Amino acid sequence: MTVADSAHRGNSGEALRAVNLAKRYGDEAAVAGITFSTCAGEVLGIVGPNGAGKTTLLEALVGLIAADSGSVIWRGEQLQESSKKEVMFYLPDGVRLYQDRLTAEILSFVASVYRRSARDVARTITAVGLVPALQKRVRELSKGYNRRLLLAVGLLTPQPVLLMDEPFDGFDLRQIRSIIDVIRGEAAKGRTFILAIHQLADAERVCDRFLLLSGGRLRAIGTLEELRAEVALPAGSLEEIFLALT
Amino acid sequence: MRSPKVYSAAPASLHPLLWKELTEILSGRALWIMLLLVCPLVGYSFVQAVSLYSEASAAALQSPASSTSLSPLDGILVPTFGSFYVAVTLLFPFVAIRALGQEKESGSLRLLVQLPYRTSTIILTKLAAVLAAWALVSIPTLSVLGIWVLLGGHLGPLETLNLVFGHALYGLLVGTVALFSTTLSDSAATAAIIALAVTIGSWVLDFTLAGRSGWSAWLAELSLTQTLRNFEQGLLSAGLVLGISAVVCGLATLSTVWLPPGTAMRVKLVRSVPCVLITIAALAAATQIRKSFDLTEDRRNSFPSADQQLLATLQLPLIITVKLAPEDPRYIDLQRNVLGKLERAMPNVSVEVVGGRQDLAGNSDTYGEIQYVYGNRSDVSRSTSPREILPLLYALAGTQPPPAVPGAEYPGYPLVVSAEATLFWFCGGLPLLIALAWWRSRHPPRTKFLEFEGGQR
Repeated sequence: MTVADSAHRGNSGEALRAVNLAKRYGDEAAVAGITFSTCAGEVLGIVGPNGAGKTTLLEALVGLIAADSGSVIWRGEQLQESSKKEVMFYLPDGVRLYQDRLTAEILSFVASVYRRSARDVARTITAVGLVPALQKRVRELSKGYNRRLLLAVGLLTPQPVLLMDEPFDGFDLRQIRSIIDVIRGEAAKGRTFILAIHQLADAERVCDRFLLLSGGRLRAIGTLEELRAEVALPAGSLEEIFLALT
Repeated sequence: MRSPKVYSAAPASLHPLLWKELTEILSGRALWIMLLLVCPLVGYSFVQAVSLYSEASAAALQSPASSTSLSPLDGILVPTFGSFYVAVTLLFPFVAIRALGQEKESGSLRLLVQLPYRTSTIILTKLAAVLAAWALVSIPTLSVLGIWVLLGGHLGPLETLNLVFGHALYGLLVGTVALFSTTLSDSAATAAIIALAVTIGSWVLDFTLAGRSGWSAWLAELSLTQTLRNFEQGLLSAGLVLGISAVVCGLATLSTVWLPPGTAMRVKLVRSVPCVLITIAALAAATQIRKSFDLTEDRRNSFPSADQQLLATLQLPLIITVKLAPEDPRYIDLQRNVLGKLERAMPNVSVEVVGGRQDLAGNSDTYGEIQYVYGNRSDVSRSTSPREILPLLYALAGTQPPPAVPGAEYPGYPLVVSAEATLFWFCGGLPLLIALAWWRSRHPPRTKFLEFEGGQR
C-alpha cells in the first residue's frame, strides 16, 4: 500500500476497500496482492498500459472471476460473493448486449428489473445521447453508441459503486467530454466510479484519484498532486508520472 | 437522473426476466428455422400414416372383426409424433442453446449475473423459455390432431394427452441437456456438439442395445428415447415421470452450479458431487415405483375390466419365476401380454427372470417354463397368453373366473380417407403463417417505446 492510500484510509468517507486482491494465471500474476479504497462520490481511475491487469482487477473485485486471495470490504463489513452485486455493478469492455434486440428493449428490461420510472429512463437516454439509436438493433450500433448503451445501462442500475472498463473507448473528444460531464454529475450525487482507462489523458480529465498499475502490481495511488509529490515532478502530467514510476 | 441512494437488495420482479428470456429465444433464427423444417417433416409423416391407416381400414371394412385392431394412437399419432421426436432430437438442442449460448459469446452473461436474481432463478426462467419454445415448435404436430378430427378421425382424449405430455417431457429433457451443455461450454458450437453427442448418442444406444440383457440392457435403459416408449404405448408411469423430473431437476441444479463465471472450477466440481449423487439416488428411487396407469382407449395394457377388478382383490404375494432369456421373443410376449398387466392389476407381484442367453441354445429341458406361486400353491406353464394364464391364477387363488362383460370390446376406428390435400397446409399455409410471425417478431410495435422518447421533448 502506498502512503497516499494509507492517508485515504483515514478518510471517514471510505466506502469500498479491496484488500490484497490477487489473481494468477499459471505462473503469471495478473494481479498481485492489490489493496486500495475509495470513498463515496469519488471517481477512481485504474490506469496502466494494456496487459497491466486493470480488467482482471475489476473482475476480481466484483466476483466475475475467482480471485486467488483477498477480500472486499463495504463500509467496514466484508462482502460475501453473493452480496457484491448489491454494492457494485460492472460494465465490461467489448460487450454487445443481446444483438438481435432493439436498444429501447434492453433499456426497458434493465429499467423494469430495477423499477426505474419512465422519467428516469428518459433522462438517462437524453444524458448519454442515445435517442437516435433507440429503435436500432444492438448489432447495428456503432462502437460509440454501443458504449453509450452500456453507460445508460450502468446509470440505470442503483448500486452505489459503478465499475467501467475502458468507458471512453470508441468516443471522440467531444463525446468524451460529454460522458465525463455525465459521470461527474453522477459522482456529485454520491455515486462512486472505478474506471479502468488506458488513455492517461482521458483519465486525468475525469478522475479524482489514480491507481497506477503495471505488470499486475500497484505502482502508486493518490491524487494527481500526491503522485506529483511522490515522483518529485511538481508540474508533471499523469503520463510523466506513470513513466517515472514504472 | 438517478438518486444516489444506497441500493437495498429488494427482490426484483420475475416478470422482466421471464419476458426477456422469452423474447430472446423468440428472436433466434434457430427456433423459426426448426419450425419451418418441422412443417413438411410432420406433414409428410402424417400423410403417409393416414395412407397406411386407410389401406388397413379398407381391409377391415371387408372383415369387421379385424377393425378392433385399428387404433388412431398406433396408426396416426405415434408415427406422426415420431417424426417430431426426430426433429426434437436433432434440432431442438440448437434452439435451447440459444437461451444461454449467445449471452456467453457476447459477454451479456457477465451483466446478467450481476442483476438482482439468484442463479437458480436465471436457470429456471431459461428453462421456462425453453419449454415455451418447445410448445411453439410443436404447433405443426399439434395441428395434426385438429386435421385428423376434421378428416373424420377419432382421438381418444386421455391417450392423446398422455402422448403429448410424454413428448413435452422429452422436449424438456433435451432442452435441459442442451442448457447444461451450454453452461459447460465457452461457445454455442461446443455446446451443440456436447448436446448432440448426448441426444444422438443415446438414440444410437437405444437401437444398438435394444433387446440385450445384463449391462447392455441397463445401458439401453439410460437412452433418452426410452422416455417415450411408455407414452407411445398409452401408459402413464409414475416412476418414469418422476425419473425424468429427477434428471431435469438434477441437470438444472448442475447448470446453476456451473453458470456463475466467478466461481472457481474446484468449487464447482465439489458442489456438483452432491447434485449428481442426489440425482442418481432419486433416479434409483423412481425406478422402484411401479405404479402406472393404462390410458389407452382399447385398454391394451390391461386385462378386461372384470378381470382387473378380481385380480385387484388378490392380496397375497404372487411370485413369478420366468426361465426365459430377456431377448427371447416369448419373454417379450409374456412381458407385454401378461407380466406388465399383472404388475398393474395386482397389489403384490414379483417377477424373477432366471433364463440366460446360453439357455437360448435349448440345452435345458426346463427352459421356457414359467412358475407361478400364490400363497402356498404353485403351478407351471409355458404359455404367454392371458387366456391360459388367468384361469391358472384364479385356480391358484381358489376363485372363479369372472363372467365376461358383453359389449366392452374396443370397436376400432377404421377410416378410409386421403390426406394428400393437407400437404397444402403443412408445406404452404402453415410455413407462410410461421414466416409472418417471424417477421412480426422482428418488427415489434414502435408505440411500445414512446415513454422513452417523451423524455427529450
